Amino acid sequence: MTNTSTLSRGGGRSSAPGSHRPRPPRKASGLPAWSIPYVLLIPGLLVIGALLLYPLIQMAIMAFQKVGLVQISGKKPATWVGFDNFTGFVDNDIFWSSLRNTVVFAVIAVPLTLVLGTAVGVLLHRLGKKMSLFVIIGIMFAWAVPPVAQGVIWRWLFDAEAGIVNWALNLLPDWLSTALFSRADWTGEPWLNDAWSIYMVLIICVVWAGFPFVAVSVLAGLKGVPAELYEAAKVDGAAPWRTFWRITFPLLKPVFAVLTVLSIIWDFKVFSQLYVLAGTSNREAYNLSMYAVTEAFKAPPKMGSGAAIALVLTVILLIVTAAYIRQMFKQEDT
Amino acid sequence: MLVYQHRSALTISLVRTVGRHPGRENPVRIAKITATTVTTAALALGLAACGSGETPESSPSAADASGPKYAGKTLTFWRLGDSNPEAQKYTDELAAEFEKQTGAKVKVEWIPWQHVNDKFTAAAAGGAGPDVTEIGNDQVPLWQSQEALEPITDIVASGDQTQIPKNLMGLETIDGETYAVPWGGGSRAVLYRADWFKELKIEVPKSWDELVAAAKKIQAEKGSDVDGFAFNGGSDANHLLGALAWTAGGEYAVKEGDTWVGKLTGPGFKTGFAQYTGLVTDGLSSKSRLNQNTTEIRTRFSNNKVGMYLTAAWDLATIEEESKGKIKGDKLAFFPLPSQAGGEAQSFLGGNDIAVWGTAKEKEAAKEFVKLASGKEWGVKYATDGGLLPVYPDALAKLAEDPVQAPFAAAFAKAKAFPADPQWTEANETKAVLQNAARKVIEGKASADEALAAANKELEDILNAS
Repeated sequence: MTNTSTLSRGGGRSSAPGSHRPRPPRKASGLPAWSIPYVLLIPGLLVIGALLLYPLIQMAIMAFQKVGLVQISGKKPATWVGFDNFTGFVDNDIFWSSLRNTVVFAVIAVPLTLVLGTAVGVLLHRLGKKMSLFVIIGIMFAWAVPPVAQGVIWRWLFDAEAGIVNWALNLLPDWLSTALFSRADWTGEPWLNDAWSIYMVLIICVVWAGFPFVAVSVLAGLKGVPAELYEAAKVDGAAPWRTFWRITFPLLKPVFAVLTVLSIIWDFKVFSQLYVLAGTSNREAYNLSMYAVTEAFKAPPKMGSGAAIALVLTVILLIVTAAYIRQMFKQEDT
Repeated sequence: MLVYQHRSALTISLVRTVGRHPGRENPVRIAKITATTVTTAALALGLAACGSGETPESSPSAADASGPKYAGKTLTFWRLGDSNPEAQKYTDELAAEFEKQTGAKVKVEWIPWQHVNDKFTAAAAGGAGPDVTEIGNDQVPLWQSQEALEPITDIVASGDQTQIPKNLMGLETIDGETYAVPWGGGSRAVLYRADWFKELKIEVPKSWDELVAAAKKIQAEKGSDVDGFAFNGGSDANHLLGALAWTAGGEYAVKEGDTWVGKLTGPGFKTGFAQYTGLVTDGLSSKSRLNQNTTEIRTRFSNNKVGMYLTAAWDLATIEEESKGKIKGDKLAFFPLPSQAGGEAQSFLGGNDIAVWGTAKEKEAAKEFVKLASGKEWGVKYATDGGLLPVYPDALAKLAEDPVQAPFAAAFAKAKAFPADPQWTEANETKAVLQNAARKVIEGKASADEALAAANKELEDILNAS
């Protein structure tokens, strides 16, 4: 985007004011026309290379080294340890529970975010203009909350003593509470002790903050679907469910593809919310990002091992994303 | 008179401080707090701070030798913990004295305990570090192994420092070199709400059972959200667990030859561990706060939510500040942690050291600063002003006569230390081995035997890792 505007501005400067077309020849640059896009890409690529690729390569190298503070500060060279950092994971309980937590969380949170987001998106499309705007503004607040603040909000809602959740559960009539949860007293229920309940709160938190983006994206997609299709469906007497699967879903497939990939990426590497909700001392509640961070940066830092965990996470993400995109394109072809 | 003296001295030092790093503290506020604190602090800290109203005379030998040879230089000095008026005042006076002797200015930065390892990590990785730092004695082996500390053997080999008993330097001396000077001992005792005890007619507990009974009574009268005796499961959990386990005759690990052998499954440790987890399973402390460390417990104590907890006298000044002056003086008192059978428990041999950071820019000046600060005059003053125990034997003997400090002095005499190994911090804080074992037992996911067996293996693996 930036590149395009630079191009048009550059073109505008060389032409005399007032004479728009025909476009002036690009003699000034002295470059062949075909090379212009590539030249303009260079600054962007340099930035990506310096800020993304270089650290990524560095991380991959460190995953095969023993790197601690002494090595980072340059007092001793880093030593190559081959696959030691990875083989160390095999009988490491914390690694496996982190891996399990990461995967289970994503498997639950991604579909929930997409389903809820799509449902709200379809609802928004049906609402009147004013109401729709009102709801969009409302849900976008959740999307706009920074991750750390999201964690803080939900941590307080689920606080054992001052939390509104325990208060509300206590307000339920005893028979209902007993029938639903087989208990009536919720005073001081510690939600943020056990890994499973921490992850329940985390799922609520991440879905809450993630669905507005999906909803608004789906709404944008729906606006582009010609109204005639829905009218035709109505004339044929199709139920809303059928309309959705036969018209909306196929037409919005590219939108869903992008949203799914983004959600997978976001949910696999969720960190800030978990950090706030669980803290670093409860290692049963670690996911791979948390484990990588504590391993790499808590005293005494083992950056090689931390990098290895991060590499595992990266590879998992690449495989999942690649497999998903492949699947999408396969279906497109048939 | 006493109050007046303090206030004037403080104002002078504060003007200096503010000039050096503007915006750090509000002088008016501090002065006000200090004025109200002084009497309590003097009481609580045992040794009356009368003599410290003005900057004390420097020892003539040091002054003659150095002169203003470091004029224009600035040392960065990291103090650990939360700043409180007493500690700030001591640090300001020490800095002023150092400037008078050598001409070098001292810039003080306070690092809260729970961030110390992270800050050290960043500094050792090449970030902004101090020239001189306070350091927990059990952290010395770790940071020495990361080559982050400067050897200062020559400092302890001469002058006042030769009087510091060698058995207090077990953690600081590694392969014949000394990397930090003991500055003050930090043994711990139970801080309790004396006013609640009086109101509810509770006697000071002499045995563990009496302590449990007292805690339950407090909860019954003061509300179920009050912790009768607070469970510590945070970064410094082993101070509490260790005290209980050592008293019952347990050990963490013993070095046999070159390898550490875990002792967590021994009967003594098991007894202490059962007492520790029992704090939560018996309901003395809420199950919803399994992660809290001493700092968080102290904040709850200041808000009338804790009846008793294990800590040291340095918390007193902060509690008064946090409770806006409501909890102070005779509302607070200490008693030694009682053992199960009665009698005093063994305390953690904690202590703070002072060391020269390895990448210090002004190494010579930094060493001189450590020499001054850990000398008898400023070393004893550091301990007595900060609610710690002096490392100089005659000063410690004097302290044992003081009723307020006696519980600590008694505990200090029997204190034990954690395994002296660079990997201890990893087991103690990063992997939180025993905190997680306790969590499993408390949540009913494992029996104490299973949890301790797993923890024992993990502790051995960590301590024996190179």
